[in-house]
Amino acid sequence: MSQQTPDPQLAVEVIALTREYTTRSFFGTVSRVTRALDGIDLSVKTGELFGLIGPNGAGKTTTVKILTTLLTQTSGEAYILGLDVRKDLYEIRRRIGIVFGGERGLYNRVSAIDNLRYFSDLYGVDSVVARDRIPQLLKAVGLADRADERVEKYSRGMKQRLHIAKALVHDPELLVLDEPTIGLDPGGARDIRNMIREMQKQGKTILLTTHYMFEAEELCQRVAVISKGKIVALDTPSALKKLVRDISVIELRTYGVTGDYVEAIKRLPNVVRVIADLDSEVQTIRIQSPLGADLLSQVTSALPSDAKIIDRTIKEPTLEDAYLRLVEE
Amino acid sequence: MGELSELTPGKKTEGYLARRGQVLKACIVLTAKLFFADPQWIIPSIIAPFIFTLVAFFLFGGEASGSSFLLYLVLGSGLMGMWGTTIYGSSNSIGFDRWNGTMESTLAAPVPLSWIALGRVLFNTFEGVINALFILVIGLAWFQVGFGVVNPGLFFLASVSTFLSLSAFGLLMCTVILLSRKGGFITNSMEIPVYIATGTMFPVSILPMVALPFSFLLAPTWGIEAIRLSALPGYTGLTTSYWTDLALLAVETLAYLAMAFVLFKRVESYAKRNGTLDEY
Amino acid sequence: MTSTESAPVAALSAEARLRMALRVFRGAFLFGRKGLIVWDSWEMWVMQIVITPIAQIGFFALLSIYLQYPSSVTQYIVIGNAMQSMSFAAVFAVANITSQDKWQGTLPSTMVTPANRIALFIGRASFQVLLSALIAAAGLLYAATIFGVSFATADFLGIAVTVLLTSVAMTGFGLLISAVGLYMRTAMIVANIFLFVTLLLSGVNFPVSALPAWLQPVSWVIPLTYGTQAARMAIAGSSFMALLPTLGWETLDALVVMGAGYALFTGFENLSRRTGRFEEY
Repeated sequence: MSQQTPDPQLAVEVIALTREYTTRSFFGTVSRVTRALDGIDLSVKTGELFGLIGPNGAGKTTTVKILTTLLTQTSGEAYILGLDVRKDLYEIRRRIGIVFGGERGLYNRVSAIDNLRYFSDLYGVDSVVARDRIPQLLKAVGLADRADERVEKYSRGMKQRLHIAKALVHDPELLVLDEPTIGLDPGGARDIRNMIREMQKQGKTILLTTHYMFEAEELCQRVAVISKGKIVALDTPSALKKLVRDISVIELRTYGVTGDYVEAIKRLPNVVRVIADLDSEVQTIRIQSPLGADLLSQVTSALPSDAKIIDRTIKEPTLEDAYLRLVEE
Repeated sequence: MGELSELTPGKKTEGYLARRGQVLKACIVLTAKLFFADPQWIIPSIIAPFIFTLVAFFLFGGEASGSSFLLYLVLGSGLMGMWGTTIYGSSNSIGFDRWNGTMESTLAAPVPLSWIALGRVLFNTFEGVINALFILVIGLAWFQVGFGVVNPGLFFLASVSTFLSLSAFGLLMCTVILLSRKGGFITNSMEIPVYIATGTMFPVSILPMVALPFSFLLAPTWGIEAIRLSALPGYTGLTTSYWTDLALLAVETLAYLAMAFVLFKRVESYAKRNGTLDEY
Repeated sequence: MTSTESAPVAALSAEARLRMALRVFRGAFLFGRKGLIVWDSWEMWVMQIVITPIAQIGFFALLSIYLQYPSSVTQYIVIGNAMQSMSFAAVFAVANITSQDKWQGTLPSTMVTPANRIALFIGRASFQVLLSALIAAAGLLYAATIFGVSFATADFLGIAVTVLLTSVAMTGFGLLISAVGLYMRTAMIVANIFLFVTLLLSGVNFPVSALPAWLQPVSWVIPLTYGTQAARMAIAGSSFMALLPTLGWETLDALVVMGAGYALFTGFENLSRRTGRFEEY
C-alpha cells in the first residue's frame, strides 16, 4: 500500500518501510538476505520529541539512515517534512540536522570553529549570518572558550556538544539524534539532555534513538519500541508502562553477590525477570514480580552468607521493564 | 552556557552558482587547514620524485652536458611530483573521510558529493603544483642550471592547463577510491605506470605500440608535451604542435570531468543502496 | 590461584618460556597474514606481485633504453630493480605494524600482554619475509621473461639464498623503523624515505662506486646493497662459494640491524610507557 500525499501535520511519516541487506557469494550469487526492517509504520508530529528504542541490531540505525537519506529502503514510503526521502534528498538534508552517536563525524585536526564554518558553508548558511550564529552556537553548547582548539584535544562530552552545535548550524526544523549521550559521564549526558529539551522548546521536532530507557522516559512524549525490524509498541511512556502494571519491581543494592545468587532468584516462583548489574562495587539487582514486597523474604533468605544487601526498595515498573517485556516476548 | 533561543536565524544562501561557490570555497579552505595541520604525507610526494630524478641524473651519466637537458630532467621530476600528489592526495580527497569517520556527515550534506570532492581536489592538485615548484627549485639549485624557458607565456598556459587536467583526473580517481575499499591501492599502483605512460622522464615515443593508446588517453600526456615544447629549446617529442597538444588536453579534461560527475552520482546511489560507503 | 590461572611468566622454566614464545610467534604470524586486510583480495596480490614490480623495473629499463645504453646496462638495472621491488613488503609494510596498531588502538592491548616481544613482532613480520621474497622472485622472473635477462648460466641456489637472506635482512630494517613508530608519529615518513633512498644508494640502478665517496658507507649499511650485488653475481653464473663473502657481510649487517631494532624497540617501549605516547598517532 502506498500513500500518494504525505500528511502535512507530520514531520516524519513512515509507511510499511522495509529494508533488506543482501550478502553475495564470491561468484555474485545471493547467499543471504537479511531483513533489517520488516514493514515498520510510525509518525512523528511537528514539534514532538519522539523516541525510538530497541536492542542492538533491532533496526534503529537502519531506520535513522533511511530517514536521513543515507540509505534507500527496499520498499515502503518515508516522508520527512512532507518530502519523499527517495526523491527530495537535498531539500530534506537542508532542513534536518543529524547527530551521529560516538566520536566520529568531526575533523579532529582542526578547531571547533573551523568545523562549524565548514559545515555551515556545506549547508548553505548565509556567510553573514554564520558569522554571528557560529559563536552563538559555541556559547550555547559551552565551547566558546575552547573554540579555537583542535577537536582532537576535546573530551568525549565536548565532542558530543560540538556535534549538537554542528547539527544546529543551519537552523534545521527536524533533528535526528542517534544515541547522543552514549559513552558520556552523567554530567555530560545531563547537559546534552538539557540541550535536547531546550531545542524542543524552540519548536524543533526531534527524533531520538537511545539505549537508556530512563532517558527516553524523561525526554520523550512518545516512544516506539523496535525489535527485530518491527515496531512492537508505540505510545507515550506512561501508556507503555501500563503494559507491565501487573508487576512490581524489587530493587536491591548489594555487595559481594555472584551470578549464582541471580540464578537462584530467577528460579523462585513468580519471578518474571531479573536484571542484574554485578560489575560495580555496589551491585544493582532488579527483580520483576507480581508479588512485589511479598517476595522479599524469599529473596533475602537466598542470599549467601558472604554477601550483603545494603538497600531494598519496591518500585513501580519503569519504561525499561516494559521495554524488556516487549523485546523479549 | 548560552541560550539556544538567542541564535540568529539560519538564513540560507540563494542561487545555484552562489551555493556551489560556497561549497567549493569551504572544501578548499578545510583541505588547506587539514593539510597544514598535518603535512607529513607531502614528504613522499616530494622525496619520491626527487629521488627518481637523482637516480635519473646518475643514470644520465653524472656531469651530463647541456643545461636544457638538465632542465628536461628537472621538469620531468616536477611533473612526477604533480602526478604523485594527484594520485595520493587528490584521489583520496573523499576517501580520507572514510577512515576519518566523517563520511556520514559528508554524505548527509545537501550538496552533490562531486562538488565537495572538486573543492578538495583543487587544493590537493594546487598543492602538487607547489610540490613541483619546490622540486624545480631544488633541482635547479642542485644541478646549478638556470631556468631559461623558450616561451614563458606558453609555458605558463601549458602548466595551468596541465594542473586543471590533473584535477579532473584526480576527481575521476576519487570515484574509484569510493567504489572500492581497495580503490586506494588501485590508484597507488597507478603511480609508476602513469609516470611512464605520460612521458614524464622519457618521451612516450619510445614506448611499445601497445602502450601508446593508454598514453594518449591520459590528458596530462599532452600537457607534458606542451610544457616541454614551450620550455626546452629544440624539443621535438611527438609530431603534434603545441596548440594541438592543448586542444587534445582540453577535450580529454572535459571528458574526465563529465565522467567524474556521472560516476559520482552512481557512487552516491550505490552508497545509499548498500549502506557501505562509510565503512573503512 | 585457581587451576585456570597461569603461573607468572618469570617463574617458568626456559623451556616453557620458549614454548610460550613459539606460540606467540605462531599466533602473531597467522595474525600478520590475516590482519593485513590489504592482502585479503586477489587484486592486492596482483598489484603487489605483478603490477608494481613490472612498472618499476619497466620505468628504469625504459630510461636506460632511451639513453641508448648497451643491453648489459639495462640488464644491470633490471636485476637491481627486481630485487628492490621487495622493499615495500619487507620494509614499508613491516614498519607499518606499530603505526597500524596505534591507529587501530590495539597497541596498548598488545603492549600490556606478557608476550615475548621478539616473538610477537618477528611473528607478525615473518609473513612479510615470505611475501617480499616472493615479490623479488617474481621480479627476477619478469627480468627473465619480459626484460630479456639471461639466466642461462645462473646459479639458482645462490639466487634463492640471496633472495631469502635479503628478504629477512630488509624485514629487519622494517622492524627497526617499526620500533621508531612505537614512539614517534614519523615512522611512516622514515619508511617512505628509506624506500626511495634504496633506489639511489643500494646499487639498484648504478654501482655504489658511482656515488660520491662520502655517501658510499651509507650504502653498505643497507642490506639490499649486498643483495643486489649477490643476485647479479649468481645470475651471471658465479658459484655459491663465490657469493659467500657478500652473503656473509649481508648476514652480519642483518644481525646488527635487527639487534639495533630490538634495542630501539625495548628502549622506545619504556620511553612510551614513561611519556604515555603509545596512543598518539
